[in-house]
Amino acid sequence: MKRKTSLPAVFLIPPLIVLAILAFVPTIAAVNIALQNRELSFPNSSYVWLSNFIDLFGDRRFINAIWISVIWEVVTVTATMLVAVLLAIFLFERASPRMQNLISILFIIPVMLPRVSAAFVWKFMFNPLFGLINYPIKLLTGAPIDFLSLPATALASVAVVDVWQWGLFFSVIILKLLQTLPPQPFEAARLDNAKTWEVHFYIGIPMLGAPLISLVFVKMVESLRAFDLIYVMTRGGPGIATETLDMYAFSQGFVEAGKISYASSMAVLMMVATIIAFTVLWKWVRKWQ
Amino acid sequence: MLVKSYYAALLGGATLLIFANSANAQICSSTVRVLAQPRDSLTLLESYKDEFKKLSGASFEFDYLNENDRRAKSRAEAATTGKYNVYYIDEANVALFAESKWIVPLLDYYPSDVNFDDFDAGRKKVASYNGVAYFAPVQGGGDLLYYRKDVLQAAGMTPPKTLEEYEAALAKLNDPAKGFYGTALRGGRGSGANVWRWMTYFKAFGGQWFVDGKPAFNSDAAMKATETYLRLFKYSAPGTQTGSWTEVTEAFNSGNVAMIIESSPLAGQTEDPKQSSVAGKVGYTVPPRPLVGGGYGHGLAIGAKANADEAARKCAGTFIAWATSKQNEERRLEQGIFGDINRTSVINSDAFKKKYGAEIGSALNETAQYTDVNFWVNADWPDLGDRWGIILEELITGTRTDIKGGLDELEAYANKLIARR
Repeated sequence: MKRKTSLPAVFLIPPLIVLAILAFVPTIAAVNIALQNRELSFPNSSYVWLSNFIDLFGDRRFINAIWISVIWEVVTVTATMLVAVLLAIFLFERASPRMQNLISILFIIPVMLPRVSAAFVWKFMFNPLFGLINYPIKLLTGAPIDFLSLPATALASVAVVDVWQWGLFFSVIILKLLQTLPPQPFEAARLDNAKTWEVHFYIGIPMLGAPLISLVFVKMVESLRAFDLIYVMTRGGPGIATETLDMYAFSQGFVEAGKISYASSMAVLMMVATIIAFTVLWKWVRKWQ
Repeated sequence: MLVKSYYAALLGGATLLIFANSANAQICSSTVRVLAQPRDSLTLLESYKDEFKKLSGASFEFDYLNENDRRAKSRAEAATTGKYNVYYIDEANVALFAESKWIVPLLDYYPSDVNFDDFDAGRKKVASYNGVAYFAPVQGGGDLLYYRKDVLQAAGMTPPKTLEEYEAALAKLNDPAKGFYGTALRGGRGSGANVWRWMTYFKAFGGQWFVDGKPAFNSDAAMKATETYLRLFKYSAPGTQTGSWTEVTEAFNSGNVAMIIESSPLAGQTEDPKQSSVAGKVGYTVPPRPLVGGGYGHGLAIGAKANADEAARKCAGTFIAWATSKQNEERRLEQGIFGDINRTSVINSDAFKKKYGAEIGSALNETAQYTDVNFWVNADWPDLGDRWGIILEELITGTRTDIKGGLDELEAYANKLIARR
């Protein structure tokens, strides 16, 4: 059938062009810079093609940064979803509707704080000399724990802040989703003497499968952008124990060396890896659904 | 009071006259833009904007970033857009800025009657690259040993004069069970952080960065310096293993630490009861021998790109001369901004002695003879220094233990750096 109007094209083409420019121009620029040997302190540069990419795989800090990024992604996404689901179920089961609303407001506050402010507040709370968290620890053990300087605790401490912001926020969303579910399946299960955890594990969570998966994807994207949190709290330390890929790229591009081509090559690899990982996961989730 | 005001007015008038003579007419045609890091002395300047406007015909505007961010941003900005007329730079990046031609020689545009020679000799040294001055100092100094007089007296001790005595004193005074620590060291990464303190040991043990253009730092001196520095961390307050100036000075000023070796501007904060709980309890002397104090300086330099013509450079030079003039240093002294006093005429004045007492003044004079430029004066220094800073932080926090392996890694990196120049 012949189209009667060209209106969709009129409305769609301009924003698509804008989106294409916004998406492709920086990407092409990043790839172009990654193929050169550009440094901020040198006025001239030339094409070295894949040399930066080859160097990356011999760079111990880059290999470390990949592992830290993967650990960060897995830990923060898993912990956020676990905290969110458990808190939402707890509130759904135990709190009155009035209390649920009040707690929801409180739980939204952390995510509304700018990341940098949240990072500063928590950094001070973790301070071994003056921090609130160390006060009871000093009373009990006689010595403070320097959470952000110990390799064993630094990444977990930063992850706590991330989960504090997003886990609480997601719990409000999941609570509201639980409230929208029809009560009959829950009532039927309870009549069959199902325990609370069984009701939610076998009925509530499966019924929320699609929105929960969407939340997982949102958190995965958000966790990739944890630069500000890590930068303020640890700057990638102790040593390189919390140095994620974006931290290392920024460090090479602007803080330590001014090697913007080297930093760009990391950014390009990150982009490729992210696209592949998200595409595979998306397809896997669709098949599973 | 009347006499004081009269002298102040006379001095102000004379300074304006000097600038007016050198300027003759409107010197600046647009607002002077400055990329800086927060300093009380610069904030103070903002109260005298009208004075500069009267002198030059234009105003000025500061964009502030903390030290690490200022370093990162100024390098990226100067290499690309270069929109700032004046850059706040420091001893560690003056070589990079000068060699990259992001800044121009200062004295070509610095009015001669403002007397650049009045600045402390150490600060003039670190403000120069290849014998040419590039910035006028805003702050700087060497190192002092800061010790708690009350604590040492109670322990029946005198300030340590050698490194051995210093280590023994730290071991004796360190009492973590009571929340009191022997010292506070900089463990956090950076050429201006952990490496800055480590270098005083490296130089003390005879270390050199490069000899005949080849890396020479992978040596016994570096090994001994690193081993010593790591050993001293046993007595360092918690939080300093990844901390720097802020964590160290907070630990000392809050009364949790017996003694520290730190840059001289800290004395002003330590004696200010609003910022320090140990004001009046601290003694000042030279660092234990053979440590070589790290001479440093931060200051204002003329940007090359934003000041494309001679008139714009003259305007930036006039701003820097005004901002770092004796008159403005006297205002800092009056406000108690100790760390930002750089002119010998002000340091040696009666007003300075009256305000800070004789002990700090004599410690400053004495430490000058044990102060040197400890870093590698080269455009690649920030890169090399920061790389060592990461490795050193790994060693301090125990994420790696092989000092020799770390030095080998740094040497390989240094060879790569010099090969590309």
